[in-house]
Amino acid sequence: MDDSKMTATPLTRVLGILGIVAGVLMAVLGLFVSPPDVVQGEAVRMLYLHVPSIWIAYGSFVLTSVSSLLFLVRSRRREDGGRHYDRMAGSAAEVGVVFTGLTLITGMLWGKVTWGTYWQWDARLTTTVLLFVTYLGYLALRRLPADPIVRGRRAAVMALISFINVPIVHYSVDWWRTLHQKASLSVGRRPEITGEMYWTLLYSALTVTIVGAWLIVHRYRVIRLEEIRDEENLKMLISSRRHERPTGSAADGEVS
Amino acid sequence: MSEVATVAIGWGLTFVVIATYSFWVVSRGRTIGRELGIGEVQQSGQEQESDLSTDN
Amino acid sequence: MLAEVLLLARKDLRIERRAKVALGQVAPLTLLIVVVFAFALDANAPLLEIGAGGLYWVAVLYGGTLLTQRAFELETEGGNFDDFRMSPIKVHSLFLGKSLSLFIQICALELVLTPAVLLLYDVQVTDWLLLIAAGVAGAVAFSVCGVLWGVMAAGLRVRSTLLPLLLIPVLAPVLLAGSRAFETALGIRADAGWSWTSLMFVIAAVHTVVGLAAFGFLLEEN
Repeated sequence: MDDSKMTATPLTRVLGILGIVAGVLMAVLGLFVSPPDVVQGEAVRMLYLHVPSIWIAYGSFVLTSVSSLLFLVRSRRREDGGRHYDRMAGSAAEVGVVFTGLTLITGMLWGKVTWGTYWQWDARLTTTVLLFVTYLGYLALRRLPADPIVRGRRAAVMALISFINVPIVHYSVDWWRTLHQKASLSVGRRPEITGEMYWTLLYSALTVTIVGAWLIVHRYRVIRLEEIRDEENLKMLISSRRHERPTGSAADGEVS
Repeated sequence: MSEVATVAIGWGLTFVVIATYSFWVVSRGRTIGRELGIGEVQQSGQEQESDLSTDN
Repeated sequence: MLAEVLLLARKDLRIERRAKVALGQVAPLTLLIVVVFAFALDANAPLLEIGAGGLYWVAVLYGGTLLTQRAFELETEGGNFDDFRMSPIKVHSLFLGKSLSLFIQICALELVLTPAVLLLYDVQVTDWLLLIAAGVAGAVAFSVCGVLWGVMAAGLRVRSTLLPLLLIPVLAPVLLAGSRAFETALGIRADAGWSWTSLMFVIAAVHTVVGLAAFGFLLEEN
């Protein structure tokens, strides 16, 4: 519900502080305490960022899809149109895009050191790029000027269709790269991570989740504030026009 | 590019991006909150559901 | 319902015949793309031959996106989708009719592009059946996806740059499949051409189902 999120400021303060502390600890663990890998050397430290980033990105996009579905299903029954679902969809998508971008950057840096090249057309990377662009498109669609409910519904449909499309894209690209493996550089499977590295990875995932959650909540609130501001501007615009007319004019339409 | 340099750049970039984005979100919230005349004691989240149609 | 579908498709195609945008502008444009690819690749004959399958589909993608944009601009001449939406034709027929007209236009585009690529990139067809099947499959997929995404992102009130941004990631697997299928049909490489063709039909089928389900809803929202 709106209220519980809006008044949960103590929650975000706690989350925020937790995130910062956890982040510092993650840096210490990831950069210093955990050992370099036998095969990859120091490069393995990139994975502590890269892997959790994509996990959180996926999680965010799932959140976007679930919120979109709930928005479509519940919007007609609620007086406010269930807009908090729409806000959540938008917030989670933007955070997801940020983390997908980070995934790509850290992945490319990791690849440069381990494979010797910034990019390879393997299934995972290619699908990730498409995912990134897809959700950039989603964010662009959300910015189209329209009635908020209309815009929300359109975005919700797009989110759901995109979600359905993900397995198709993944399957196609995966099959393509499997068929053509001989033509590409050796892809080099990510190594098994064990021991201290494993726990560092898990801990990093936890940290990134906390940071991601904090970001989603705050972004959600900003969307809410933007909505209020837009409504206020609209009200002021209408009331100022109403004051320009002579009183008793029946020509002025009622604002619904 | 050495391994250490790569790791440094990667981690550095990540922290910069997250910090910048966080800062942007929070300060945008503060800015709009100020515009709307909402109490700014807390960060972007605090807001009342009361009708704000009175003149500021 | 079939009658309504054909009615709508015929109306669109009649408009097209008079306006001559598809054949008059888009087809030449895609021909240009085919030529420009040669400039970009330094007229490297072996390279063009290997890339023929993919380059063909990039050209189709470009042309198809323009045709999709146009298909919806037609409906928004009055500034909104009202005429389209209020028409007595059932919503499912609207979706299928639009798709059919777009399909026919893309096929026409492919009929122009195929000989161009064959001649300019110096490739021969080893499997005509596969080539035709893949061409049709791709056209179906493009048209159905185009109509579904077009209703969300095309028309007069929307910048024409949004539709390609949304549509192309969706069509990427179709481009992928079409290119591989064509490469098999052109003897460029021995590949699973028919499997790729089936994939395109599957993508088309999924989007048809989704389109039938969501089109009415999306139309309401415009």
